[in-house]
Amino acid sequence: MSAPATQPSEQAFRRRLRWRHGKSKLFASLTITATLVGLATLAALLVNVFTNARLLIAMNATAEAGFAFSLRSLERGHDLFPYIRISQVTEGSSAEQLGVRSGDALIRMGFHAVAKISDAWATVEQIPEGPTPIGWVAGAERLLGDLRAEIDPETSRVTAVLLDYLTPGSAAERAGLQVNDILRKADDFPIQGTRQAWEAIVIAAQQKPTPSSVILEIQRGEQILHIALEAEQQAQIPLNRSFWHTLWFFITEYESPRFAELSGLRSAILGSFYVIGLMALFSVPLGVGAAIYLEEYARRTWLTGLIQVLISNLAGVPSVIYGIIGLEIFARAFALERGVLAGALTMALLILPVVIIASREALRAIPDSIRQAAYAVGATRWQVVRHHVLPYAAPGIFTGVVLSLSRAIGEAAPLILLGAFQYVAFDPKGLKDPFTVLPIQIFTWVGMPQEGRANIAAAAILVLLVILLLMNALAIFLRIKFQKRW
Amino acid sequence: MKTSIVVPSRRQAQRDDLSSLGEPILQTRQLSLWYGKQQALDGVTLDIPKNKITAIIGPSGCGKSTLIRCFNRMNDLIPGVRIAGEIFYHHKNIQDPDVDPVEVRRRIGMVFQKPNPFPKSIYENVAFGLRINGFQGNLDRRVEGALRQAALWEEVTDYLHKKSGLDLSGGQQQRLCIARTVAIEPEVILMDEPCSSLDPIATAKIEDLMLELKRDYTVVIVTHNMQQAARVSDFTAFLYLGRLIEYGPTKKIFENPDKKETEDYITGKFG
Repeated sequence: MSAPATQPSEQAFRRRLRWRHGKSKLFASLTITATLVGLATLAALLVNVFTNARLLIAMNATAEAGFAFSLRSLERGHDLFPYIRISQVTEGSSAEQLGVRSGDALIRMGFHAVAKISDAWATVEQIPEGPTPIGWVAGAERLLGDLRAEIDPETSRVTAVLLDYLTPGSAAERAGLQVNDILRKADDFPIQGTRQAWEAIVIAAQQKPTPSSVILEIQRGEQILHIALEAEQQAQIPLNRSFWHTLWFFITEYESPRFAELSGLRSAILGSFYVIGLMALFSVPLGVGAAIYLEEYARRTWLTGLIQVLISNLAGVPSVIYGIIGLEIFARAFALERGVLAGALTMALLILPVVIIASREALRAIPDSIRQAAYAVGATRWQVVRHHVLPYAAPGIFTGVVLSLSRAIGEAAPLILLGAFQYVAFDPKGLKDPFTVLPIQIFTWVGMPQEGRANIAAAAILVLLVILLLMNALAIFLRIKFQKRW
Repeated sequence: MKTSIVVPSRRQAQRDDLSSLGEPILQTRQLSLWYGKQQALDGVTLDIPKNKITAIIGPSGCGKSTLIRCFNRMNDLIPGVRIAGEIFYHHKNIQDPDVDPVEVRRRIGMVFQKPNPFPKSIYENVAFGLRINGFQGNLDRRVEGALRQAALWEEVTDYLHKKSGLDLSGGQQQRLCIARTVAIEPEVILMDEPCSSLDPIATAKIEDLMLELKRDYTVVIVTHNMQQAARVSDFTAFLYLGRLIEYGPTKKIFENPDKKETEDYITGKFG
């Protein structure tokens, strides 16, 4: 018997088989590449967030010690010389006990000269545990005294900066400066104004590799004198670099509009949980109820089909649009203002379709034979749902609900549109209280120019990620715990 | 021997004469049924006698399951079903709008083709029907009684509350379903190919059980196993393409059928 003509020859078959194997290898490598690219992107993202968030511990350590920094700079020619101004010293802090006051300049940390705030934090992060040596320049009044400028009346330019009053016990007094001395230079930084004089001394001190005196060039009468001024003060400060301490501070402290190192997530976390909790209160009963009705009660007509299509489409509507609805209906028409309740209702609308779809899927997974078994012993429709369908579908419904809650906790767009506040330094209590949520807080911080904001935004992203991971873990746990086999 | 309760002489007499059918408990008159546009039953007229086993046989897709599901209005649950004709239960048309299908199903129980115990404990499986129907008496005793009637008690007595109904073997599951059905003491038990997913030993147990159940219940069984119909039933209806071809005492249908189609089917020419 010869093979039918439709069969390929032995050789052709082998050739084709090789080609088919080649093709499946190609597809395998494509899918592997896709997986690897995805993993690499995720890893890069996480590494970036972690690197940024790492400075939080150093930021908290300096904040704990009593400092809040702001960045200033001194202009000379075309160059900018930045320095760190200590904007705030917390009362009773170790910094205050050392004699550091608001308005001083921080110039050294752990023996390293620091000019930028991020440098200071990076240094704190790198130096070992234990007391950290710091160097600072006291504020103008405490370092020198009062300065007076002589101004040329025609050009209104400063011609000379004179020492008008010498603070007793100040470094200037110890160095031998006298009232009416004209300050000309600090090292090679020319002194051009009363405030600038102090800044020039700070920059000059900061430029030295080791703590040493700044040489002031002064004019006393006709004489030009060079006087060594011990501008920099040194001391050791204890810095608490504990991770848990930092975390606790970060999640329990309110937002600080001026200082990144003093900011925390308290109002954002509270706002998030408040909104999500209220939202679940509305959307879960409504969503599960609607799913039960559509799946177990409603007849399959064109109308229920249409409703199903509409719900699926609603799940895909961009979330911003729900913000418009929330603003128009809840905030304005219902006069709920831009408060927690309006936010919760808006978010409830947003996740309602997701809850309905997830619950319907869970209900649909219950085999019909179970329903028939219950009907056959004389159960009513409600008894079938109450005693069998709902309990068996519960793990699936829980999973869907938790996943949609975790979607909601990451949503910012509708709440931004609704006008959730960007700066909230109190706990939302009433239903109409303004609030903020985690994603909005992150969004706000990322947009702020100060140093350290990007770092606390990254830390906040990590907090949000951990909350999401915990919720998803809960969903997986529920699914595994209550899973039924058929 | 469980089959010994049937007196052979009486049984013989019943098999020979359709007039000995006695009081019919279920009757259909010109019953037709459509799934959407597809007709599944075509003018079936049939009387089911009380306290007998009536088998409905026929090839796949002939409408046997559809017919049996009409008796307890299970077809209500399928969307797009349309029914014409009448189904009488104790001379009351159960299709009437004033009839509550829940009450019908409470009086006419059903055992399905695939064992479908609830994913609950064995005890709860049997007790569920009693609970929802507002049973007032001793629940434990009734559950035990039902499990004994289904010849399952000895096998499960040690883990009534520990094991889920789904942990049992296929044959045990089916007997649990029977126990669940008899627990609420219906008048009729409908069995839709109850042995089709079981091995011969489990099948034999279920068949013994049916003969036992006949004392207290009317049993209607759908089967495409002709030997089973011949073994257990008193009356046999042969359905083909949605029409009732022949109905009579089992012995007559199997030994001396009137219709050519019946003979062809029974002798294995098709089906």
